[in-house]
Amino acid sequence: MPERVILTIGTRKGLFVAEAPKTRRKFSLRGPMGQGVAVYATLIDTRGTPRLYASSCNAFFGMKVLRSTDLGKTFKETKSAPAFPKEDGRALANIWSLEAGPGKKDLWAGVEPASLFRSADGGDSWELVPGISNHEHARKWQPGAGGLCMHTILRDGNRVHLGISTGGHYLSEDGGATFRASNQGVGAGFSPDPYPEFGQCVHKIAGHKDAPGRFYMQNHGGWGEWDGPGGRRPDIGVLRSDDHGRSWRSIAKGLPSDFGFPIVVHPHDADTVYVVPLEPMTRTCPGGIPAVWRSEDGGGSWRRLVRGLPKKDSFFTVLRDAMDADELKSPALYFGTTTGQLWIGRDGGEQWDCLFDSLPPINCVKVAVV
Amino acid sequence: MSPDTTIKILVPGPLRSYCDGASELPTSAPSVRAALEQLERSHPTLHRNVCDETGAVRRHINVFVNDSHVRDREGLDTVLVPGDVITILPAVSGG
Repeated sequence: MPERVILTIGTRKGLFVAEAPKTRRKFSLRGPMGQGVAVYATLIDTRGTPRLYASSCNAFFGMKVLRSTDLGKTFKETKSAPAFPKEDGRALANIWSLEAGPGKKDLWAGVEPASLFRSADGGDSWELVPGISNHEHARKWQPGAGGLCMHTILRDGNRVHLGISTGGHYLSEDGGATFRASNQGVGAGFSPDPYPEFGQCVHKIAGHKDAPGRFYMQNHGGWGEWDGPGGRRPDIGVLRSDDHGRSWRSIAKGLPSDFGFPIVVHPHDADTVYVVPLEPMTRTCPGGIPAVWRSEDGGGSWRRLVRGLPKKDSFFTVLRDAMDADELKSPALYFGTTTGQLWIGRDGGEQWDCLFDSLPPINCVKVAVV
Repeated sequence: MSPDTTIKILVPGPLRSYCDGASELPTSAPSVRAALEQLERSHPTLHRNVCDETGAVRRHINVFVNDSHVRDREGLDTVLVPGDVITILPAVSGG
């Protein structure tokens, strides 16, 4: 069967799957799946026969993990969802990230309240990862507006990087057995200490397989005009690390705002990184003019990508997991909006087109070529 | 005709797939709490849909004994007597 591009689109009203040939000229859409329940995380697992996973945040009956073995034509619940031990006292509120683990059928799930679960059987059974879930800081983390969520899980050899809002960046160097807060240079605008040990509102972290040790972070920025204790904190929103996340430095200069949610690295060039700056108070497009910004020198300079995007009156938000890039030779970017639009940025974001105009509010977008 | 002396749990439609399609389940539990604990042993996946992992009834699930919401009686300690019907219903919601 010829390769095709598969998009998973998690929305407030269920999961949609879009599919196109590699030309990406026209996408077909199926869904919503998952009983119209909000989906905050998906995974297109391309190890072996492709499997699609989605979290399903059922307000009535609790969290489910959905799995498809037919590229998203049908989904079934796995045998169980992550759950805290009864004596723990915490109850699962949401699943914010699903990632492939080191073993063939290993899955990792980052959840709310911020904790990590691991499955060794493709999502049918789950166990709590105590090194972070029971970390001495865990009961001190506070929820951001979206909840106390573990939204980023990145593996880099034996290192595991986690992003927690609001907990900050946590690093394991022993495969996930133990973790430590690793936030040197990561600022916070909402605490008297501008650079606390932990508790930052990290929004998303991204890395690249060809640049081990380098990571980009979209942190909670927008504190350039802060006049409270500790003074102004400009440019703390977009950061880069070159030492496996041990320390971070700002790369926000040149952006119209250092506030945003997603951050995505070009699949073939670790120096090329994309962000969607937002106005920090409304968390919408500055001036009502949406733009994706691209750096081709690892954050040294930024260029605005707007061709095809609305030129005015567009006040949407792009959430932390709602942007991704495919891995074709000339990659396309994709982002979904809280107003239900799914956009494709062809040729690395040079030309934008709206693929779907009226979906429910979009929480997350993932893409793979299968 | 003698009155029905069994205690029943009525299962809402969306949850019947977790108990082989049954619309009702019998119980001999002396209280709502005991009935839910019995449900946890007999149908753990069904129970997980009604209660979270701490054992609390989920926020948007309502449990009635006959026509009374258990919160208006003794909560999960509401005593059951032969013939009682426990109804599990998702709460009304919109948005």
